[in-house]
Amino acid sequence: MSQGKQSFVVTDPDTHSNPPLLEVENVSKSFGGVQALRTGSFRLEKGEVIAVVGANGAGKSTLIKTVAGVYPPDSGEIRIKGEPIDLNDHSVSRMRERGIEVVYQDLALVPNMSAPYNLFLGRTPRKWGIFADNRSMRAKTREVLDQLNVKTVQDLSRPISDLSGGQQQSIAIGRAIAWGKEIVILDEPTAALGPNETAEVERMVEEVRDNHGTSFILISHNLEQVQRLADRIIVIHHGVTSQEFERGRVTADRLVKAITVGV
Amino acid sequence: MTDGSKTMAGGFLSPRQMEKLRDFVPFIAIALVILLFWSISGDRFMSIRNWTFIAQQTPVLMLLAFAQLIVVTTGSIDISIGSSLAFSAFVGAIGMLWFGDAGLLLGVVAGAFVGMVNGLVISLLKIPSFVTTLAMLIIVRALVIIISDGTSIYMTDGSVSGGTNISSVTAPWLLSMGKFPAIFIVAAVVAVFMWIFYEKTLFGQQLKAVGGNEKVLRLVGINVTAFKIKVFAAAGVMVGIAACVNLARAGAATPQAGLMIELDAIAAVALGGTPLTGGYGSVVKTIIGALTLTVVRNGLTIAGVPPSWSQVALGALLIAAIAISLNRSKVDVVK
Repeated sequence: MSQGKQSFVVTDPDTHSNPPLLEVENVSKSFGGVQALRTGSFRLEKGEVIAVVGANGAGKSTLIKTVAGVYPPDSGEIRIKGEPIDLNDHSVSRMRERGIEVVYQDLALVPNMSAPYNLFLGRTPRKWGIFADNRSMRAKTREVLDQLNVKTVQDLSRPISDLSGGQQQSIAIGRAIAWGKEIVILDEPTAALGPNETAEVERMVEEVRDNHGTSFILISHNLEQVQRLADRIIVIHHGVTSQEFERGRVTADRLVKAITVGV
Repeated sequence: MTDGSKTMAGGFLSPRQMEKLRDFVPFIAIALVILLFWSISGDRFMSIRNWTFIAQQTPVLMLLAFAQLIVVTTGSIDISIGSSLAFSAFVGAIGMLWFGDAGLLLGVVAGAFVGMVNGLVISLLKIPSFVTTLAMLIIVRALVIIISDGTSIYMTDGSVSGGTNISSVTAPWLLSMGKFPAIFIVAAVVAVFMWIFYEKTLFGQQLKAVGGNEKVLRLVGINVTAFKIKVFAAAGVMVGIAACVNLARAGAATPQAGLMIELDAIAAVALGGTPLTGGYGSVVKTIIGALTLTVVRNGLTIAGVPPSWSQVALGALLIAAIAISLNRSKVDVVK
């Protein structure tokens, strides 16, 4: 991979017309005087899976929520395909329009509503202006679940609170990959899952990346998983994205040290 | 999960069967209530005359229960609807004095206006719906007293001319609308629209979603603030329609109209199996809830139970119905 790294150095930025899919530069965010994120910087290429790791409270969630548009950063710049986004007009809806979706840790599902409703949350297709187009919603939900190879969700009209944790997870991931044509951000996607379901989620990520060229940002505490899935690993320590490692070029011990001590 | 469902018949019914049974509680309750009063009072209760009376009494409560259902489904509550009913009726009656028959529509506009103010205060100032609508209950009732100056506006059929100091509107069509079967037909038409609106439209779905997890809707970028304003305005429209129906039925806009009726509307919604925490609800069962309340009140009167004791019985019925129909395994915290 060292050639790959070098090519970045040699390439003249003016002649190289393909800027990274996402560039985050020195973003910061504080809440009521507490600086949750000091300087967050990273880039993400098309079809790449990167992982953001760090101790609890290091600023992982703040970093990705800032990118996802949950709140605008206090300072810094976010560029998509080389174009800086207007941080005064930075919102979840805007980022969703750009094909950037998040699977939140608590899944962000509406428990009393059906799987199709949740999959189309905020984008329900209309029929005659005031009705939901239930038929096409069900068909699309089926399609997404098939794509994820999830066969266990039979009755799509039931509220999703009736589904198992793994099934709910697949709805949340299905929603993200159905709409996140560019980037899917996974916040602790397998923290609440058993080993079989975890393997399922990892398989989904790899399949979607290979088949659709979707990029992923993975937030995880599971370092083995991070090393399995991620092309690059970004370490965040005390609100600063301090180090970056390429896949296979870092040992678990080294990562732990980077996370806990910051060096 | 099993702990929550192991109430009443939980010993020999599976949770799924228990859930099915809960679905039918409002229907079972009304059937039992009818049978009870039929056996007590016989033909005096089970007569065409009495049921015509019930069909005339239920619509206003049903429409107000619809308004409440819209709000409760989102997890909020609107206790200002009684005052709003009186206010809307007055504005409608004044509208008829000034602009003729079509002026009645101002009553609906007035209801929508009160609802919208509720929604604006709740959403923009972030004051809980209970407190906001409690304040509006007081303010709007006071407004009614101010604009009415303590007097009523009467609807007449033109046969008797009122005194010079009495405001009256000659509107025989409206008075006939307030009688069976017209009032019943109006109520049925509104009920059909309400059913489509609540059970089938995207707006209806959104009501349940807001009651289910409002935070998630905000997270994915849905403008819940704007939506809630529409919710209260929609409930206000329903109150406005109820006010017009009440004006027709009572034949007058009075300053006391709708006093304490918000409690009946909430009770009707609850009897219809809708949890006040929001997320779920049913138009058909709310109709049954409103009907149950009317039938019990009517039945107790016919059976000769003094009004105060009737109220006690109604309160007890409310608790009993909710104790059976509420699925506790779906409720995390009881507040």
